[in-house]
Amino acid sequence: MIETIRIGRMLREATSSPYRNLVTRPTGVAVRNRIEDALSRSDCLTALLDFSDIELLDFSCADEIVAKLLLTQASQRRRFMVLRGLRDDQHEAIEQVLRHHRLAVVAMVHGDEPLLLGWVSPDARQAFACMPRTGPSTPSDLARALGWPEPRMRAALDALALLLLIRPEDGWYHPLLVA
Amino acid sequence: MTRVIEVPTHFDDRSFEQFAAGFGNWPPDERVLVDARGAQWASPYGLIGMLTAGQAIAEAKGERPLLTVPTADEVKRYWARIGFFRHAAELFELHGRVPKASASGPSDVLLDVTPVRAMEDVHQVVEKITETASKILHRELGLERNATMRFSMALSESCQNIVEHAGTGGWVAVQVYTFRRRLGRRVAVIAVSDGGVGFRRSLESTHAKRFGERWGDGAALEAALLQGVSRFRDPGRGQGFAGIKGFLDRWKGKISIRSGTARLSIVPAWDDDVPLADHLAFFPGAQVQITIPAQAAEAR
Repeated sequence: MIETIRIGRMLREATSSPYRNLVTRPTGVAVRNRIEDALSRSDCLTALLDFSDIELLDFSCADEIVAKLLLTQASQRRRFMVLRGLRDDQHEAIEQVLRHHRLAVVAMVHGDEPLLLGWVSPDARQAFACMPRTGPSTPSDLARALGWPEPRMRAALDALALLLLIRPEDGWYHPLLVA
Repeated sequence: MTRVIEVPTHFDDRSFEQFAAGFGNWPPDERVLVDARGAQWASPYGLIGMLTAGQAIAEAKGERPLLTVPTADEVKRYWARIGFFRHAAELFELHGRVPKASASGPSDVLLDVTPVRAMEDVHQVVEKITETASKILHRELGLERNATMRFSMALSESCQNIVEHAGTGGWVAVQVYTFRRRLGRRVAVIAVSDGGVGFRRSLESTHAKRFGERWGDGAALEAALLQGVSRFRDPGRGQGFAGIKGFLDRWKGKISIRSGTARLSIVPAWDDDVPLADHLAFFPGAQVQITIPAQAAEAR
């Protein structure tokens, strides 16, 4: 099950104002608290954070909302997190803060094309890019596609799974689906 | 006795040093008269620098300083239009006729002189600039939408520094003008200033030990701007300047931060500033200037 959270709505509720710009740390904290509250009442497997109503996302809010949410979720219930509705300047802010923390997240861009934002090893990034957008893959299929030994591919996929960027199940690895 | 501090004829981040040196000891032990009669031009940095001086004197319980307004009508009108006199009247005893602020006609002022005291003010500043700046930055500087959003991000992060680190309020102003002396091109300039504790004192308890005898205003600026350190233990802190540097690198912009007795700049090829100026006259708080030049046609 997927829980869609509209960040613009969270911002308006948190600030009691019609703001569309996610700026300042206190605002980021307030929005993150609302997201965490919504997620605590949900048994969803995947949280889809929709930024399409947001105009500006500064580094402070990228850190307080996306990075801290990933850190919190990793230490609590393990749940997949996907971002949607981001513009290029917002990608960059999130990319920077996640690299700083050595975290990563999947963002759906340009018609739900998955994009990895943040820090993963070069092997993990290559393995992610090689995965089909729908349907599961096995390490042997993907290793063959990249001409890698299977253990190397398995290590890369396990690293992606550990960061909750793909979903492992019975020896198969699934992309995070949001449709 | 009154100490007369002459406002430079052309008052920008460079000539600011002449203004700062005029104060002598800080806080000044005499009443101060800021003499702006001869001013012919002032950048946003110069204007909010004067307000910072007035604010710092008030917070040090000094005698209310005097300010004589520029003689030139055009200069006075511009200072009124950008909102300088409105705030100066609260901090200085003004002498000379102050024109009413006129809002008529197209303006190159992207953001009037605006006080920043709380995070709510940062929201207001960003809301205002994202509404008004995008078209002007595109038309005047050739910046695309993505770049104008990054410009607003830089503004947001700079203003947040005041609220989080200064321990007092500050000021911000944003303007587009032609940078004749050094560049010969249009530029957008964000100027942010506060009269607070400054970078050295803000970072001292957490970072001074690491620097040993090197610790001072210059080392504190290096730590904040070049190494991204923060006084907060939260590992996510200190990324604002890193983000601003990335934006400036891409758009050939410049950032200059003055705090206490030092000024650190990231200097693009078009400028001849020194990276670090040390042993300057003391001036309270921190003053930041971010300059984004019009993009050359081939870079657009």
